[in-house]
Amino acid sequence: MVKEEQILANRPDNTAFTQQRLPAWQPILSAGIVIPGFVLIGLTFIGIGVALFVTSKSIQDMEIDYTGVETDSDCYKCTDKDVKNCVCQLDFNIPSLIEGPVFFYYGLSNYFQNYRRYGVSKDDTQLSGDLDNFKTPSDTCSPYDTDGGKPIVPCGSVANSMFNDTFKLYRHVNGTKKEVPFDGKGIAWWTDYNVKYRNPDVKPLKDAFEGTVKPLFWPKPAYDLDPADPNNNGFINQDFLVWMRRAALPDFRKLYRRISQGDYARGLPAGNYTLDIDYNYPVMSFKGKKKVVFSNVSWMGGRNEFLGIAYLVIGSLCIIMSIVMLIVYAKFKFPEED
Amino acid sequence: MAKESLESGLTWEVRANGRHHHKHKQKRSFLCARWGRYTDNVLRSHKYSPLTFLPLTLFEQFHRVANLYFLLMVVMQCVPAISAIPWYITIIPLTIVLSVRGIKDLATDMARRRSDADVNSRPCDVLVSQSFYKGQWRDLHVGDVLRIHKDQVIPADLLLLCSSEPHSLCYVETADIDGETDLKFRQALGATHDELTTRPSEETLAAFDGVVFCEEPNNRLYVFRGQLHWRGERLLLENDHVLLRGMVLRNTEFAYGMAIYTGKISPTSEQPGSNNLQELRLLIAVCSVPGADTKIMKNCGKLRVKRTRTEKVFNRVVTGIVLCVLLTALLLAIGAGVFSRWVVSHAGALSPLVVDGNPSYTGFLIFWSYIILLSPAMPIALYISFEVIHSVHSLFIGWDTEMYWQPADRPAQARNTSLNEELGQVGYLLSDKTGTLTQNRLLFRQCCIAGEVYGDSSVRAEDVEPMDLSWNPFSRGGLFMSAPSLLEKLRGQQCPISRQFLRALCLCHTVMAEWKEEAPVYQAASPDEEALVGAARELGWVFLSRTRDFIVVSELGVTRQYQLLALLDFTSKRRCMSVLVREPEGGLKLYCKGADIVVLERLQKDSPHQERIESALELFAQACLRTLCVAVRSVPEASWEQWSKTLARAAAMATGDRDALLEKLHDQMERELQLIGVTAIEDRLQQGVPETIALLQQAGLKVWVLTGDKKETAVNVGYSCKLLDPDTRLLEWQELRQILQSPDPEVSFFKARQTELWAVDKQSAGAKTAVVLTGPELAEFDQRPDWGASFMSLAEQCQSVLCCRVTPGQKADIITLVRKHTRSVTMAIGDGANDVNMIKTAHIGVGLAGVEGGQAVQNADFALSQFRFLQRLLLVHGRWSYRRISFFLLYFLFKTCGFALVHIWFGFFNGFSAQSLYESWFIALYTVFYTAAPIMCVAFFEQDVSADSSLKWPQLYKCGQTQELSRPLVLSASLLYAVYTSLVLFFIPLGVYYDTDYDYQTMAVTVAMAATFTATAEIALLTRYWTKFHAASLCVSLLLFFICTRITQSTFLFQRSPADYFFIGVSDKAFIDPLVWLAALLATWTAVLPRSGSQCHPHRARQAQGPQRGPAAGGAEVKAEAGVVPSPLLLRPLSGGRDRAPHHLGDPQHRADGGRESDCK
Repeated sequence: MVKEEQILANRPDNTAFTQQRLPAWQPILSAGIVIPGFVLIGLTFIGIGVALFVTSKSIQDMEIDYTGVETDSDCYKCTDKDVKNCVCQLDFNIPSLIEGPVFFYYGLSNYFQNYRRYGVSKDDTQLSGDLDNFKTPSDTCSPYDTDGGKPIVPCGSVANSMFNDTFKLYRHVNGTKKEVPFDGKGIAWWTDYNVKYRNPDVKPLKDAFEGTVKPLFWPKPAYDLDPADPNNNGFINQDFLVWMRRAALPDFRKLYRRISQGDYARGLPAGNYTLDIDYNYPVMSFKGKKKVVFSNVSWMGGRNEFLGIAYLVIGSLCIIMSIVMLIVYAKFKFPEED
Repeated sequence: MAKESLESGLTWEVRANGRHHHKHKQKRSFLCARWGRYTDNVLRSHKYSPLTFLPLTLFEQFHRVANLYFLLMVVMQCVPAISAIPWYITIIPLTIVLSVRGIKDLATDMARRRSDADVNSRPCDVLVSQSFYKGQWRDLHVGDVLRIHKDQVIPADLLLLCSSEPHSLCYVETADIDGETDLKFRQALGATHDELTTRPSEETLAAFDGVVFCEEPNNRLYVFRGQLHWRGERLLLENDHVLLRGMVLRNTEFAYGMAIYTGKISPTSEQPGSNNLQELRLLIAVCSVPGADTKIMKNCGKLRVKRTRTEKVFNRVVTGIVLCVLLTALLLAIGAGVFSRWVVSHAGALSPLVVDGNPSYTGFLIFWSYIILLSPAMPIALYISFEVIHSVHSLFIGWDTEMYWQPADRPAQARNTSLNEELGQVGYLLSDKTGTLTQNRLLFRQCCIAGEVYGDSSVRAEDVEPMDLSWNPFSRGGLFMSAPSLLEKLRGQQCPISRQFLRALCLCHTVMAEWKEEAPVYQAASPDEEALVGAARELGWVFLSRTRDFIVVSELGVTRQYQLLALLDFTSKRRCMSVLVREPEGGLKLYCKGADIVVLERLQKDSPHQERIESALELFAQACLRTLCVAVRSVPEASWEQWSKTLARAAAMATGDRDALLEKLHDQMERELQLIGVTAIEDRLQQGVPETIALLQQAGLKVWVLTGDKKETAVNVGYSCKLLDPDTRLLEWQELRQILQSPDPEVSFFKARQTELWAVDKQSAGAKTAVVLTGPELAEFDQRPDWGASFMSLAEQCQSVLCCRVTPGQKADIITLVRKHTRSVTMAIGDGANDVNMIKTAHIGVGLAGVEGGQAVQNADFALSQFRFLQRLLLVHGRWSYRRISFFLLYFLFKTCGFALVHIWFGFFNGFSAQSLYESWFIALYTVFYTAAPIMCVAFFEQDVSADSSLKWPQLYKCGQTQELSRPLVLSASLLYAVYTSLVLFFIPLGVYYDTDYDYQTMAVTVAMAATFTATAEIALLTRYWTKFHAASLCVSLLLFFICTRITQSTFLFQRSPADYFFIGVSDKAFIDPLVWLAALLATWTAVLPRSGSQCHPHRARQAQGPQRGPAAGGAEVKAEAGVVPSPLLLRPLSGGRDRAPHHLGDPQHRADGGRESDCK
């Protein structure tokens, strides 16, 4: 016995693995499966598409451009670079109630927040509250790392170019303008507010910024961004956080405020409104556009017609393909039987 | 003067017992410096030491252009101005690739080290100060005197001084050196034998003070030139006096030798699958290592690197990708320049970011950034994965029990692990005949003595009625000839000529007899001789033993001793051999046996029975028997004396002159022969050969036979192994030559066929023609190089080509011809040393481990034990490998390009700023973690049809021959598909996120998700064979994506290094956002839509119906048509192609078999 085993020492193992006979499922994509499959997928997609489209249609979304390109616009006067602290007004009418909660966005176009050198021009360590990087900002912040030998905090292009138009909304009620309260709490990401951006543990916050200068374009230093709420200053200022979260594409909108308080909890009623704009942010030079948007949201977020339509198109394509397949199949199936 | 010329080149000096003398010349090395002359006997085949491993392995690996390319990328990424993604992103996959390779190398090296140590510590007896002590191989030095015991391996190249046997003969087996398993003898010089064996040997040996002058160490195994200077004499040394390292001493109690050359590596101890480039480099490296003077080491030889066609095509594609990347980067850089100019002129937040305010310089930097960003399109892990897959496929070949040959306990072996997919593309199979198609187990079936034919070959060997040989005590059986009349004649003392015939058989050979259990066991270099001597033994003429001077035989029980005067050995050039013996009674006889044409030329005039014997020759050839003519001549004593004097003179001459003189001498002796008979040996076909050939022909392979045999034999073997059909028309040289000479060979060829087959069947005219050529005719091709192309175009239309009487060189020439004029893959299969040349020349060489030793196997890429295993190797393993590797390559291209090219489109929306659309960690992990495992599973296990079905439907093989899956067109289609995918992956999220408050990072995660899903969906569609591994790898890959994304975007890592993990929290939000999921799913389905559309071609209905699965698998209507409808073969590129015209394949017969068709997807 032993001898025999020795002689056949080279015999390969006879297992399913070595003999490549692993139990396997070999799906067969026959026409009987594929065509119904395509129809099914197509129908599913069309279903999703319809749902998305209907949902999207039900979302009210009002955009108002206030760049001031047209000479008859009130903001036209502010497009002149030399005008400082320009305030312009925008009158508009909301034809029917925009159901709440209403989100108030500002939007920019032709603005490349996704430009690489722009995007890397910040110091994540500094922004997470590291005091060392207050004194010596990372050189990624270039060309906005130092100003006159003093470190800029927060440094970098992104911070420097922070959007600084401010808005006030008034509703015309019986001939008087009544301010619509804005809610600016919690408009930034939770992780941004709680983890990613931290103020240094220095009280008062102002002391941490000792020996640094504010970004060039900023009217106020970072620790003084929101005089109304001391906890909304420094790197965890909501507007700052929203701005620092870079947009994906050159046309984008960013959340400015929510309108959900008091009388407006159910939405913005129909009527006439005036928007007071502190017009500070120049976009004309690079052919940019600015706009404000009032919109409510659904489970799928803001208005998004593209997705619904795309689902419908692709779904229909599937159906068409399955019909073509059916025809081809029938054609190839029958002639030989003659 | 003559002496000087003889001595020239003998510069290697070794003193016997001169250890102290040689010691200071010992070769040593430190770092790169080497000095000294004599190497020690330590085997060092390992290449790494702990110190040198890292630098050496890195040095080797960066020889690969791909690795170098990625190293360059890493370096570029360290430049902050152009670094689009952090430097550590490329280095992760690169490190993985390098370390996988490094670990593989290290493992091989460790194994080598272990085997080295084993060899180096083998014991041997070394003579030190008058007594032998047990030393180890590593301790040997040149000049040492050794004692080798029976069955010991010889540790170094030795000069044989004396042995325990008479005349200091000794027998050695050289299986480790040339694979030949028969015994060979070596003999010590008469002088040393006489002096050293007379007195107690240890003292005399210790006193031996000869000095050997010989050639520098070289690789010529069969040649040795040297002189022994001893006691004022100069004795010539030849190959016969030398024992080489690796030989095994047999049948000899002990032998004494003096080490001349020490150190070696053995080419046979190489690990299987060692032919690839890496190993080649290693071999070269090792060959230059000190410690390797012995002949066998010097013979480690050149290995040709074989690359597969698929690999070549793919290399071109990769080069193409790199060029495209450069071009694209250039265009994008121009875009960046233009954009920067615009930015500069339109003041905004970006304006200060234009480097130095100089748009052109910014563009220049962006160019490099884009090269970095697009570099993942070039698949970094490709080559290493390719190697791993090849190795696994090779393992599968070795593991296949159906290719395991139990009688010899030998599994199939892939010695070259880089050719697997080529096995699925073979167009020409060029086969040796003897031992390849046939068993090379030779049976003596018939003979013709003095015109009388004995035996009957039409009876199968098993059915032959055994003769009563009980009177013969030496009979061992194994004679498959029934000829009682011959026995009667022999035993009845009636017929001297038949006795002479048998005497010739038992005298004229080089067989060794080894005595085991009171009976001689024959050790023969050629199986023919073994069969002949064996047959003579059965019939009563028993070869008992041989010494240098005598052959002892027993003739019908009477022991007779013949003095052996000369042995005119067989060479493939002479094709005959003779012995000159002095009979006990006194007369001198020359017995000669050889090929008919040679022997018939040398007959005396009017040799009796010649005509009848020649007709018997023809008869035997028609019965596929191998024939040898046996002849005899009485030599007058006087002419012998003169002849032997000339012979002695010749021995002292220089090589060139000597050969010429020897040839003349042989001619003098081998003439005036008297023909006594012909032997006919059956070489039976191996099991399953006709079936295999038929199957391979159905699979579209052209099977050619190249043989050294006679035309008749070859043609008959052709018929019996179904290579030729009974109605096949043979086109011979005369006709072929006319056709080739005619202005339009094609037309003449058609005419030639049609005149013959006019009335019969026009349709089959093409297939039913075979060309028969012989070696001398082939030689004409050398003079007419223009014939090659037209010959090949004719051969293409023929059923087969038989080449007879070809030399090993011509076999290789034919392969070169085929390689030159067709684009098919050629495969050569053979078993003998004469096939080595063609095995090395062909794209794929297969060696049959058979009777004729191991040389073919050692030079082959694949080793099999039986010809019929070829069908499994080609149709199953080859076809699978080809499909798997093609899928792997296509998919690899698709997944890397599809994922990397989105950056081009993104460039248009970010001012061509080389902004990455992915988190950098995703780029690093995508190829290695998220998408690698499933495709590897496909590359390991994919089967479209089972092994049995592959053999049942050989037509399926054709898709490899036409390179259905690896044509440049298909690869380009795959690339196009990748481009389409990248468009979808980018533009669908773009549409979704345009003018919304979704940020860049969410979009990045969405696109990453879509890319991963697409790659996964793609592989899921590609997989047709779902094992648990497939399912697991798919799930694990997807899970890994989610887990790793969560990890790299976790708070924990962010707090460790904010700058590297700045995607914190994105996935938390994105993975629960319905919009992200909807966008990713839409992009995924849209991306794979063309694939699924083409996959789900209605024809799949029939195609997918695997033959083995029967009608139950399909739908009802599908069932109805299976078996009725001639199915079209779909030539579909990878994507789309739904409207390709079907075309027909194969004959209706096979289609009717199961409605199954070749389908390459």
